[in-house]
Amino acid sequence: MPDVNLPVTRRRMLGIGAGIGFVAAGGLALSTGWARRPAETGEVLRSEVPLPQAFSVPLPIPPVLAPIQSTPDGERYELIQREAEAEILPGFTTRLWTYDGVFPGPTIESRRGRPVTVAHRNELPVPTVVHLHGGRTPAASDGYPTDLVLPEGWTGHDGHHMADDRAQVTNASREYGFPLDQRAAMLWYHDHRMDFTAPAIWKGLAGMHFVRDDVEDALDLPGGDHELPLMVADRAFDAEGQLAYPALDPTLTGEHGVEEPYVAGVLGDVVLVNGAPWPEHEVDTGIYRLRLLNGSNARHYEFEAVTDEGRTLPLVQIGADQGLLAAPVEHQRLPVAPAERYDLLLDFGEVPLGSGVRLVNRLGTGRTAEVMRFKAVRPGQRAPIPQTLADDLPSWDRSEAAQVRDLAFRSGRMDDGRHGWLVDGLPFDPARTDVTARLGDVEVWRLVADVHHPVHLHLVGFRILSRGGGDPLPHDAGLKDTVSLRPGESAEIITRFEGYRGRYLFHCHNAEHEDMGMMANLEIV
Amino acid sequence: MNRRSALAEPDAPPQPGTDASGWVLRGLVTAHLVAGFAQPVFAGVYLSGDFDGLAWHVIGADLVSYIGLAQIAVAAAVWIRVRRAWPFWASLALTLGATAQYLAGMEGALWLHFPLGVSLVAGIAAVFAAAWARPLPRRRKEVRADA
Repeated sequence: MPDVNLPVTRRRMLGIGAGIGFVAAGGLALSTGWARRPAETGEVLRSEVPLPQAFSVPLPIPPVLAPIQSTPDGERYELIQREAEAEILPGFTTRLWTYDGVFPGPTIESRRGRPVTVAHRNELPVPTVVHLHGGRTPAASDGYPTDLVLPEGWTGHDGHHMADDRAQVTNASREYGFPLDQRAAMLWYHDHRMDFTAPAIWKGLAGMHFVRDDVEDALDLPGGDHELPLMVADRAFDAEGQLAYPALDPTLTGEHGVEEPYVAGVLGDVVLVNGAPWPEHEVDTGIYRLRLLNGSNARHYEFEAVTDEGRTLPLVQIGADQGLLAAPVEHQRLPVAPAERYDLLLDFGEVPLGSGVRLVNRLGTGRTAEVMRFKAVRPGQRAPIPQTLADDLPSWDRSEAAQVRDLAFRSGRMDDGRHGWLVDGLPFDPARTDVTARLGDVEVWRLVADVHHPVHLHLVGFRILSRGGGDPLPHDAGLKDTVSLRPGESAEIITRFEGYRGRYLFHCHNAEHEDMGMMANLEIV
Repeated sequence: MNRRSALAEPDAPPQPGTDASGWVLRGLVTAHLVAGFAQPVFAGVYLSGDFDGLAWHVIGADLVSYIGLAQIAVAAAVWIRVRRAWPFWASLALTLGATAQYLAGMEGALWLHFPLGVSLVAGIAAVFAAAWARPLPRRRKEVRADA
C-alpha cells in the first residue's frame, strides 16, 4: 500500500487535472458534434422519389365551401370524407384522405355569432371524428376522440384501445354544430380520432376555417386575393409517390403508434404549402395578409422573408391563434410550432418587378430550409399598416386565478410498457378526468416540457404570462390556443373557462405525441 | 503512517497550520460544492413538472456565480499569502465555465448545458478535495512543499 501521507507530486496533480479536463472537453465536443443545434424533436422520414425543383409549381388556394343552405339562423354545409387522388409531386398520383376530394380541405368562411352546421359523411375505410381547432364549440361537437363516425358497414372494433362509456358513436355521418361566438380568427378543422390523429392528418384530413367580425372589418386589412391562407405542412413520399408514414399498422385500424425511430415525431422532407411542394405565388408590390398555419405533425419552422437580393423583409404580426393583436409586432424571424396560426402582413413595396421574396425556414436544413417564393409581377397599392388593431382582447390578472396548476409534459412509459408521452406522468385515458375546472373561473396553468411540446387547449383561448420564468417572447402576444414549449422550457398561461360545460381536452399538438398518450381530459363543470 | 494521521492535521506537527485566507477558501469551496450539487436536484424537480424548481435552479445559478467570484478574490489572497497559484486559476476556470453554463441555460442550449454542468460539478468537487487535502500555510518566501 502506498504511503498516503507522501506529498502528491505536482506532476501527478497536473496529470489528474489534465485527465478530468480531457474527459470534460471530450464530452463537450461529442455533444457539440452530435446534438441537434438548434434542437429538433422528431425524426426525418426521407422520400424515395426525386423531389421537384423549388418554386416550380403555383400556390394553390383551397376552394371556399359554398353552404348547402343559408337561413337567418346560420349556414349549413356538407362535407364528404373520402379517398381522392392528387398530383402533389409532378408526375406522380398520390392517394389522399380528403374532405370533399381536396387537400387541404375546402375553406369555410363564417361570421362571428352566425352558427355553422357541418354535416360530415365518412366514406373513408376507418372511423373519423372532426375537431374544429380553436373553435369555441359545445362539447358534443368538439370532436372528442372517441365520438367516432364509423364507416358504412364497419365491422371492426372502434379502432382505439380503450373503452369509453361516454363516447357518442354514429354510423356513416354526423352533424357538427359550431355557434362560433368568438373573435375573428383563423381556425382549422382536422381529424382527431383516438390513437390515429397523426396519420389521418398526414394523409390529408385538414382544412381551414375563418371567422370574421366587425372589429376586423373596421381595420380594412388586405382582403380578396391579397389575403392568402397558407397551410404549411411537411410530408414524405415512398418510391411510388404515395405518402409514406411509419405507422406500426399501415391500415390504421389495429395497433396505434409509429416505428421506434419516429416516436418523437414524424418529419417529412417535402415542404407543402396548401398541398403544393415549395410553390411560387405571383404577387403585386402591395401589402399582403398571410394567414399562416403550421399544419405539420411535428415540424417547427422559423420563418423569414428574404428578397432575391438577400434583404430580410419584416413579418408584421397582426394576429395570433385566436385573432387580432392589440398592436402589430414586427419579426425578422418568426418561430411557428405545429397547430399555431399567425396573421401576418408582408409588404412587397420595395421588391423590384420580376424579382422575388423567398419564405425560408431557418430551422430547416437542405430542402426543408425552403418553404415558398413570392414573385412580384405587377405594381400594387401601398397602404399604411394600422398601428392599433383590436381592443377586444380579454385581460386576465393572476390575482383573479381560482386555481394554479402545474402540468408536466414529458416522455415515459405507457400502460403497455411502450415508449410514449405523458401529461403529469400519465398517458391519456378517456375514462379519467385529469383537470376539473369551474365554468367562469380564471386559472393559471404552469406548463413544463422536456422536449418540444406545442400544448393546445380546447374550448378556450389563453394569454401567455411568462416563458422560462421570464417575460413572454414577442411572438407570444395576443390570444393563443397553442403554446410552443421548447426543450426544458416552461410557460405560464392564464385563461377563463367560458362558453360551455362538458368534457374537453388539452394535449400536445405534436400529432405523434398526441397519439402516443400526451393528451388529458379537461372537464368544465 | 496510517491514514488517520495523513488526514488529521494535529497528528502531523511538522506541517504548519492553514492560513486565514486558506480557511476562507475552504469555506467557499465547501459552499461551492453544496450549491453545485444542488443545481441538478433543482433541474430534476423542474423537469419533473414542478414549476418552482426553475426558480430554485436560477437562485442556485446566481449563488454558484457569486460564490465563484468570491472564490476568485479569496484565491488571489491565497496566492499572495500562501504562494499557491492553483486555487486562483482553478476558481477562475470554474467561474468562466459557470458563466457559459448560465448563458447556455438561459438560451435553452441543453446540448451544452448538460455536459458542461456535469463537468463543472466534477471541477468543483476536485477543487474541494484539493483545498482540503493539504494545509494552506502562510509562506513568506517561495517554499515548495512538493519540490
